[in-house]
Amino acid sequence: METSDSECFESADEEIYTEKENKKSKKVASSPPPKDDLSKEVEDITNLKITESNDEQPVDLNNEPHEPAKATKIKPSKIGVKTNKSDNRTNSHSTMIDNKHIDTINVTENLEDHKDTPNEEVNMWDEDEDWEPIETKPEPPPPVSTNKSWGWDLSAVINAATVGVTTVTSHVSQGLSTVLETGIGAPDPAELARQHTQETETHNADDDSTQSTTNLFGFGNLVSGVTQITKLVETTGNKVILGGLDTLESIGKKTMQVLQEGDPGFKKKRALLNIEGEKPVLSQILREAKEKAEFENRLLEEQHFARKANYESLFDDHQGLMHLEALEMLSRQCSIKLERLTESRFGSELVELQETMNQIVELCELIEDEDELEDTSEIKEKLDSAVSEMVINISYDKLLTTRKEAEHWLDNINLQICSELELHEQAIDTLAQLTALAVERYHKIGELLLIKEHRSTADEADSLVQLTMILITLTGNMATKFSNKLSEKLSSSAHKDHINTLITNVYFESANSSSYLKNAFQLLIPVLQVGAI
Amino acid sequence: MSAGPYNYSYIFKYIIIGDMGVGKSCLLHQFTEKKFMSDCPHTIGVEFGTRIIEVAGQKIKLQIWDTAGQERFRAVTRSYYRGAAGALMVYDITRRSTYNHLSSWLTDTRNLTNPSTVIFLIGNKCDLEGQRDVTYEEAKQFADENGLMFVEASAKTGQNVEEAFLETARKIYQSIQDGRLDLNAAESGVQHKPSQPGRNTLSSDQQFNKDNCAC
Repeated sequence: METSDSECFESADEEIYTEKENKKSKKVASSPPPKDDLSKEVEDITNLKITESNDEQPVDLNNEPHEPAKATKIKPSKIGVKTNKSDNRTNSHSTMIDNKHIDTINVTENLEDHKDTPNEEVNMWDEDEDWEPIETKPEPPPPVSTNKSWGWDLSAVINAATVGVTTVTSHVSQGLSTVLETGIGAPDPAELARQHTQETETHNADDDSTQSTTNLFGFGNLVSGVTQITKLVETTGNKVILGGLDTLESIGKKTMQVLQEGDPGFKKKRALLNIEGEKPVLSQILREAKEKAEFENRLLEEQHFARKANYESLFDDHQGLMHLEALEMLSRQCSIKLERLTESRFGSELVELQETMNQIVELCELIEDEDELEDTSEIKEKLDSAVSEMVINISYDKLLTTRKEAEHWLDNINLQICSELELHEQAIDTLAQLTALAVERYHKIGELLLIKEHRSTADEADSLVQLTMILITLTGNMATKFSNKLSEKLSSSAHKDHINTLITNVYFESANSSSYLKNAFQLLIPVLQVGAI
Repeated sequence: MSAGPYNYSYIFKYIIIGDMGVGKSCLLHQFTEKKFMSDCPHTIGVEFGTRIIEVAGQKIKLQIWDTAGQERFRAVTRSYYRGAAGALMVYDITRRSTYNHLSSWLTDTRNLTNPSTVIFLIGNKCDLEGQRDVTYEEAKQFADENGLMFVEASAKTGQNVEEAFLETARKIYQSIQDGRLDLNAAESGVQHKPSQPGRNTLSSDQQFNKDNCAC
């Protein structure tokens, strides 16, 4: 039954996961994505200022000259341009991808003849962060020089490199940008290929640049006033090269990294330094080692001391925490059962049930009373009579023994020898141990009540109230005794402030103890309630 | 004296389950104290044991919940499965009935823990070869069929006791390494670093299943 719930959580998780995955794959695979999505993504990108070049786009660049970047810049209204044009950093130009590129992609396909014309000046997409939107006016395309074979060969090589080093570059560049980038700019390679074939069929690819340009320009006008086609082609050509250069740069960086990491040269350097430096003196090494060890020991001692006087840690050491956790689990199960019961009842039945439950809560109200519990046998008697009402087999002997041992320790210490720190430590440990033992008893009471055949809730509640008050008083008294001892040291000590702090701390942890006890008792209320209905 | 014992990186919660008298508490005692407890009283509800072990150079604190085997506590102990990273399911090789009840224990375990919980089947009292009532082979087959790890052990001689506890820890640790076990999940049964003493268990309240009630 429980699994059903956890399964729910899991399946929910899975859903979320799958959703994420879907989103991811959607982004990556969107080829071409719907316009809206795309513009949104572009916006995202703009916000992120991720302007990586497209060298990681999963396009098979070897097969086809078409690559996504080519589709960019047709309608540059959204294009951010780096105003601060960089000088020698031309090869780090990168592209903001226009959201309209999908519409125009078909048009751009026939520009492939010109894409191999690198033209640095058109490159307005710089990697730097300072972007400014500009309106680009349509311009007549500049004459394009053809250097086809060179351009294509080079870009093919670079593209091959790009594909080959995707892993490397993805290490270097941000994974996020990779995803986003590929999400926008990557039309399906297969489709591109198909389009390309169609295009080459319809248009006679001509080497004459002017003719081709005119041709293309006309076509561009035909389709929704798309301009700057040549520019675009140039940019694309640039981008291919620049992307390739970026990749090469990445490879170079990575290589250096790898070389430095596993580097034999580093060893050489070390050897060199050793030769140059003086030979270490054994005694000095030993002295240093000794100092280091001493320092570490001191640290450990300090840590140990800090822990020794840490109430929570000591409470855990005495298994208090585990019993508290188990008690909580038990309490929770009962609460769930009660909840289900309440849900299934209506009208007067429900009112009745709630009244019963409230009555039990009222029965469990603690009355603060400051009884002095001095005598061990008196405490034992009180505890026994309190427990007897519950009719379960449980004894507080262990707790009483611990208390007695602590008293014995206090009676026999020599304040001249025993430091205030030691005294404080013992106080905290005693409080933590007594509380842990008491919590353990609450836990056992809970378990035993749950398997008890005939419940008598009122008696049980009364019994637990008495018990809790006795235990709170008992721990409080213990704290007082330790504090008194600490106070005795005040007159003879030079560190009065320190001792006062320690005394305050003992009282603080004593209050802590009583809240643990009250809390444990509260956790038993559902157990009592379950027995009443 | 150093603070060494507190320098552990993980806490694994184990739960030991199985019929009454199969030797759950004795196995725990053998593991934590390296001693055989010949006269072991019935466990009430649940008792605890801890020991710090080392897996792959990492110190791990095992927090072992030793449950009562008595039928009357069954409902109570069902409350404690939640959040166990490892479950040691014990039967007595000299008493077939304890073996026959395994499927019921397994059902409880599967229902009340999470899928990544490592379940280890232990056939205890393997020192009593003469009184054997369950063969190794059939138990091994049962374990294989249900994807459990399995050894025969003896709390008396200590044979295979360490192995069972440590092997479980290794498997859990492996799950963490493989990412199969989500450390952030409330019921993974694994806490990274020593738990800050305090009330961290309440955080799982919201996720608690309402269908399951052992009361």
